[in-house]
Amino acid sequence: MEMKNNNKTKNRLIAPFLIFAFLLNSCSLDIDETDSLITKGESGVFNGVPNPAGSLSNIYNDITGQAGDQAGLYALTEVSTDELLVPTRGTDWGDNGIWRTVHVHTFGPTHNFVTQVWNDKNGAVLRCTEVIDPLSNATVAQVAEAKFARAYNMWIVMDFWGQVPFRNPKDGPDVTPSVLTRQEAYTLIVQDLTDAIVGLPAGVPAATNKLRPVKATARLLLAKVKLNSIVYNGAYGSTDLDDVISLVTSIEGEGYGLVGGNYFNLFKGPTYTNIDVIWNVSAGAGNRMWNSLHYNQSHPDNTGGGWNGFSTLAEFYDKFQGPAASNSIGGGQEERRGYTHTLATTNATNLGFGFGFQFGQMYGMSGVAPVALKDRTGKPLIFTKEFAESGLIGNNETTGARLLKYSPANGGFTEGVVMARFADAHLMRAEAILRKGNAGSALIEVNKLRALRANTPPLASLNEAAMLDERGRELYTEGWRRNDMIRFGVFKAARQFKPAGDGHTDIFPIPASAILSNPGLNQNPGY
Amino acid sequence: MTNLYLFVRRYLTVLLVFATLVSFAQQTVSGKVTGADDGSGIPGVNILEKGTVNGTVSDAGGNYRINVGANATLVFSFVGYASQEVSVGSQNSISVSLEPDVTSLSEVVVVGYGTVKMSDATGAVAAVRSEDFNGGVISSPEQLIQGKTAGVQITSTSGAPGAGVNLRIRGTSSIRSNNNPLFVVDGVPLAGGDTPAAANVGYGSSQDSNPLNFLNPSDIESMSILKDASATAIYGSRGANGVVLITTKSGKGQKGTLEFASSLSVASAAKRFDLLNASEFLDGVTQFGGDRVAQNFGAQTDWQDYILRTSISNKQNLSYSKSFKTGSLRASFGYEDQQGIVKNSSLQRLTGRINGNKSFLDNKLKFDLASTFSNVKREDPAIGNAGFQGDLLGAAYSANPTWPTDPDFNTGGQRSPANMLAYYRSTGSNNRLLNNLSATYKITGALSAKATYGLDYSVAETNTVASGKAINGGNGVQGFGQAQLNENRSLNNLVELTLNYNKTVGKVQIDAVGGYSFQSFNNRSFFASGRGFTDFVNFDNMQTELRNSYEAGNSAAEGNFSGTINNWGISNDLRSGAQTSGGFVSGYDAGSGAFSQQYFARPAGVSLAAVGANFFNTTDFLQSYFGRSNFTISGKYLITATLRVDGSSKFGSNNRYGVFPSGAFAWKMHDEDFMPELFSTFKLRAGFGLVGNQDGLGYGEFIRRDRYANANVGDARQIDVPGVATQGSVNPTLKWEQTSQFSAGIDFGILGDKLSGSLDYYVKNTTDLLLRANAAQPAVATQIFTNLDATVENKGWELALSYSAIDKPDASLTFSGNVSHNTNLLKDFGGALDAGTINGQGLSLAYAQRLAGGYPLFSYHLREFQGFDATGQPIGDNQTFVGKSALPTWNMGFSINARYKAFDLATYFSGQFGQYIYNNTANAFFTAGSINNARNVTRNVLTAGEAGSAEAAVSTRFLEKGDFLRMQNFTIGYNVPMKGQNFIKKLRFYGNGQNLFLITSYTGLDPEVSSAPASFDLLNGLPTAGIDYAAYPRPRTFTIGLNATF
Repeated sequence: MEMKNNNKTKNRLIAPFLIFAFLLNSCSLDIDETDSLITKGESGVFNGVPNPAGSLSNIYNDITGQAGDQAGLYALTEVSTDELLVPTRGTDWGDNGIWRTVHVHTFGPTHNFVTQVWNDKNGAVLRCTEVIDPLSNATVAQVAEAKFARAYNMWIVMDFWGQVPFRNPKDGPDVTPSVLTRQEAYTLIVQDLTDAIVGLPAGVPAATNKLRPVKATARLLLAKVKLNSIVYNGAYGSTDLDDVISLVTSIEGEGYGLVGGNYFNLFKGPTYTNIDVIWNVSAGAGNRMWNSLHYNQSHPDNTGGGWNGFSTLAEFYDKFQGPAASNSIGGGQEERRGYTHTLATTNATNLGFGFGFQFGQMYGMSGVAPVALKDRTGKPLIFTKEFAESGLIGNNETTGARLLKYSPANGGFTEGVVMARFADAHLMRAEAILRKGNAGSALIEVNKLRALRANTPPLASLNEAAMLDERGRELYTEGWRRNDMIRFGVFKAARQFKPAGDGHTDIFPIPASAILSNPGLNQNPGY
Repeated sequence: MTNLYLFVRRYLTVLLVFATLVSFAQQTVSGKVTGADDGSGIPGVNILEKGTVNGTVSDAGGNYRINVGANATLVFSFVGYASQEVSVGSQNSISVSLEPDVTSLSEVVVVGYGTVKMSDATGAVAAVRSEDFNGGVISSPEQLIQGKTAGVQITSTSGAPGAGVNLRIRGTSSIRSNNNPLFVVDGVPLAGGDTPAAANVGYGSSQDSNPLNFLNPSDIESMSILKDASATAIYGSRGANGVVLITTKSGKGQKGTLEFASSLSVASAAKRFDLLNASEFLDGVTQFGGDRVAQNFGAQTDWQDYILRTSISNKQNLSYSKSFKTGSLRASFGYEDQQGIVKNSSLQRLTGRINGNKSFLDNKLKFDLASTFSNVKREDPAIGNAGFQGDLLGAAYSANPTWPTDPDFNTGGQRSPANMLAYYRSTGSNNRLLNNLSATYKITGALSAKATYGLDYSVAETNTVASGKAINGGNGVQGFGQAQLNENRSLNNLVELTLNYNKTVGKVQIDAVGGYSFQSFNNRSFFASGRGFTDFVNFDNMQTELRNSYEAGNSAAEGNFSGTINNWGISNDLRSGAQTSGGFVSGYDAGSGAFSQQYFARPAGVSLAAVGANFFNTTDFLQSYFGRSNFTISGKYLITATLRVDGSSKFGSNNRYGVFPSGAFAWKMHDEDFMPELFSTFKLRAGFGLVGNQDGLGYGEFIRRDRYANANVGDARQIDVPGVATQGSVNPTLKWEQTSQFSAGIDFGILGDKLSGSLDYYVKNTTDLLLRANAAQPAVATQIFTNLDATVENKGWELALSYSAIDKPDASLTFSGNVSHNTNLLKDFGGALDAGTINGQGLSLAYAQRLAGGYPLFSYHLREFQGFDATGQPIGDNQTFVGKSALPTWNMGFSINARYKAFDLATYFSGQFGQYIYNNTANAFFTAGSINNARNVTRNVLTAGEAGSAEAAVSTRFLEKGDFLRMQNFTIGYNVPMKGQNFIKKLRFYGNGQNLFLITSYTGLDPEVSSAPASFDLLNGLPTAGIDYAAYPRPRTFTIGLNATF
């Protein structure tokens, strides 16, 4: 009895002691590295990226992903020009007006694509800066690749918005990024590219694809930046145009050059071994084809057919030589305008898919037999060059010609989108010569390229307007049109379904969310 | 030691002598306390000599013995029973039979870390007991209490079996996170454990299933809803959205009782769309200029008929319950097979549960165990978020009625419902164990300590398979097949230590609890996806092939890597990597901090063209200190003070700990002399508190982490070899979202509580709103979690009334109802964020709602539709606030319960008013543009005056009033009279109807709806509400069942 009481007393005392022992010995609340490595602690101390190669892979994978998209970057650079229009077709492609506003230049600071590209490209700049930072201990080659990528991404920010926020990797999230002016950003981009040229490999890569930059890639971008110096700095610097010419000549010296033969084979993946392509990404070309083709144009790899959106304008079609009323195969049109198939030429290999401008009756295969296709309501599928009255809304399924640089004739989802070609470099050199006042020499250069394209007679003379048209014919839907039209001063001009503007749209609005997050940014004029 | 021994001996001796002396002057009374319900002894009954502190408790058999003074009156009280007073007089033996207490105000309710008599509660607390639960087909416990309590809005997101439920207590206070309350089952706060949603294999991903599906509703004894901050503050950082405490049944009755319940239910869609039939459709095509011959495929198919069915479900429950001398036991086993009214949708639940307790050392030490094991299997058709293409339901609404039902029929572009039903399968299985073991030790009469260990472990798996015969599904599926395996293992461990102190000092009764809690939440998951199957037709073979290829690939990856694996992939087409085919594995070594990527040859066991797997393993911790004191002064003034300090691993060290205090006061005015006799109960309550919320905040967001980006298998069976990507955003200033709430109320009862009720008023302000906002670029992550400098205000009132019209032994009639009003407003916010994702053809990036200061959450921002112009084009193209919100302002529930002799009847109505529903279904499918594209539409489209070329932009044309009143539940039962000692003690048959009628002006299927798009589709990461996009139709269900007790 007495012993039992004693035990009870001990228990009375032990229980609270145990509890207090627990209270005092409270556990750590730090998370473990079971899922990911903690690369930057709460203090914001930046210790370098742990794996520069892995970070670079991600940086280039992002460029690939963004290049494969039809929205965002591609829409802003192409749908805003005379090359493309995404008309609303009944209930299709209304998408709250997001495509229409790009074409008519009524985009505002909340436009989804404007915000998306701003976030994508600025974020990429910081990731490149982190790899470049000495704390990351990246190799010389890795730093060069990072500098190229930073220059490419920052150039897009500078070209689109005219202001470039910049963040040091050491800065915490409470630090508001500084804002570089267009000229400051220009200087940094030129410096990055100059450094990259030193560190990048020479020659044409042995690999079948050109996914990472070489000296030629950086030179091409530097030439591009300098050729646009007149836009960024108000006037060309004394050596800018000569630099463009010598940079392109250096690219040639690395082993790149113009390539003739079948023009559309230049855009046929999945490998790009020809010496015209300087840079390509591994993104699938599916978006570029199916965003344009009709629902009833299908392919074994894409039985659901196209999405019936992106179309081109008749006024752009008219820049090419050949019969106006038809782009049928064998009509004598210039090679780069492409062709559409006829019932006779549709076969199991091409499945009725042509190249370039597509309008008129479309064909496909029904089992082993070629057939004239119908639209969803059962009427013949005849694309018209013209749109509904307003162009933007009230269209049916068949208005508007379609533009195929990549074609399902080469596979439904072929890999590879071309980012940069020597033909572009060649025309930039010709343009620099022209801008230096030597139209005769420039014409010879332009005709060198035209001579490689079938049914494309030499031009008799060359002026700025002709130069811009030639760039359009050679480089359509390759992502340069907006940049070219601004340089030639016609981006703001009136065109089909777009009235003339005051030029403020040469620079995009700073996204509303960016202005909220950084008081150093000022909204661009006109928005 | 010796000294202590001597001290104790001396002390005890004195005490014993004293006690003996006292007892000499007294009279001894003994007896037995039994329950009037089953006649068995009730252990633990408090027996108090009135007006003194002298008392005892009954033993395990209900027996007691007490010494009392002259002219004593004994008060017998026990939770759940009405107290009884007996004058002792000269009696030496007094046995009493306690009546179960059914009046709501004297009920004992479970509150956090304890119980309280409803009449003593200082906070806004509501409890619903099993006898008041809704009947019929109940797939999730929340449905049991739908419409039962004021201020609690419970909305099923759809009519699918096991669909998620949105539960809002006193409005919506967060702008981003999950606004559901914290669920605590037998003391274990739940976290996660859901079955992974169906993966996107070209048909969109499904919505997450309900995390409470694992509980068998029949095992639940009661559910308590803690509504105001003074009640939820004991759960601190998780209390902002209210707390629902679920208590399961435990053993009762000295004689073992065996209960069997069985029911059978038949359900069918309550409403269908009035679609065009085959000939009307062809006329419609012609009307809009189409070619009726080309569109006529010869069949006459009612596609709604084709995908819907009359479903049959059944439920069986068996339980055994018994209380022993020193403990009790209840074991139950349940099986339920619920069929959905859309083909290929079902839920099967198998549950086993044991609740037991056992006392030792003269009831000083008590062990409690509550353990559930469940297996829930689900099948879902291709229903969920399929973006602009629409899911199975959308396909059925827009399918050409002349198409044949042959699954291999190629429509030429659109998805055929027959093809989707035949060639898509998503099945999920979730095994879950929830265990709670606790030991309570009574240190002294006033002080007891309790240690709890809770374990919640679940292993869930979802297999989503698209056959290679799927036409117009995802890219690269036809001819190859695509499948994904998702597996989640979540382990939630809880250790809790509490001290309880109960003491009456003079006129003050103190009831205090203090404790420490540590909870860890581990989630380990992976998903493996594959394309290019050897047999791309048979679902089982595909699932096995993916599993085998995953196993083979995984062992090869592990063999080639030491460290933590983020992902691996095997394909003949590797891109952007150092090799162009074979396998790669990426990960890191946490010791050295090095990332690496290794390549290896394709292992022999991998038969898929491409397979890739990604692995995740995260653990969060929550450490808490808490305390609550209740002071009852003179039996009528009640004061509660609560404090909880929570530390969470989701925040940086500066903001890791949050302090959540609350205080409340109640005054039982009916005990005051100045109150008129009319009031049997009149209690004033008021309280204020701060509570927090960290829900919706991902793992490790305050710190910057890196891991390899996901390895995904692409359309062409290629894999892009991933690089290292940043995960968290460095935001060390991230902190809790905080809600302060003032709440005041009156509980009243008149005529002996014949009419009783409560009226509450509250003001809730939520600040530091957690939101994933755009970061100031350039930033490591596009969006970072921040605390938005804005306030969400919810204020409103609630009224609950219950009137017992007849209360006689063989007849009773009770009316009860509740109504609540809430207004919601976002204040002090300067920005404007688009929200309310709309889906459909031509509606990408379209939105219907906007978050802006000065407007309620989920406010509609739309074009004002002004009809069609002469050419049939819609007028109005400027989105503005239209002054309407998706949030209801009024919620009501009304019920009638009646009993006459052997018959009983219960019926329930629920209603919501003031909310507007955006009919995204009509916007996406039922426009002239659809019939113009040869898609089927509802009859009214043909006469609307809309041109076939018109754009169906989001506008008020599709915004409708969502007010509704629903007859939710109707039950009629018959209790077979049992005479004498039958083998069967009780037998009841019943019939039940659910969703019997609905009064609403909404033209869609049902206004009680919320189609949640996939999380990556949410504009600005903001949730949606009130948007109806091809929601799973709500069934009308009839059930017959029996309950038998042996």
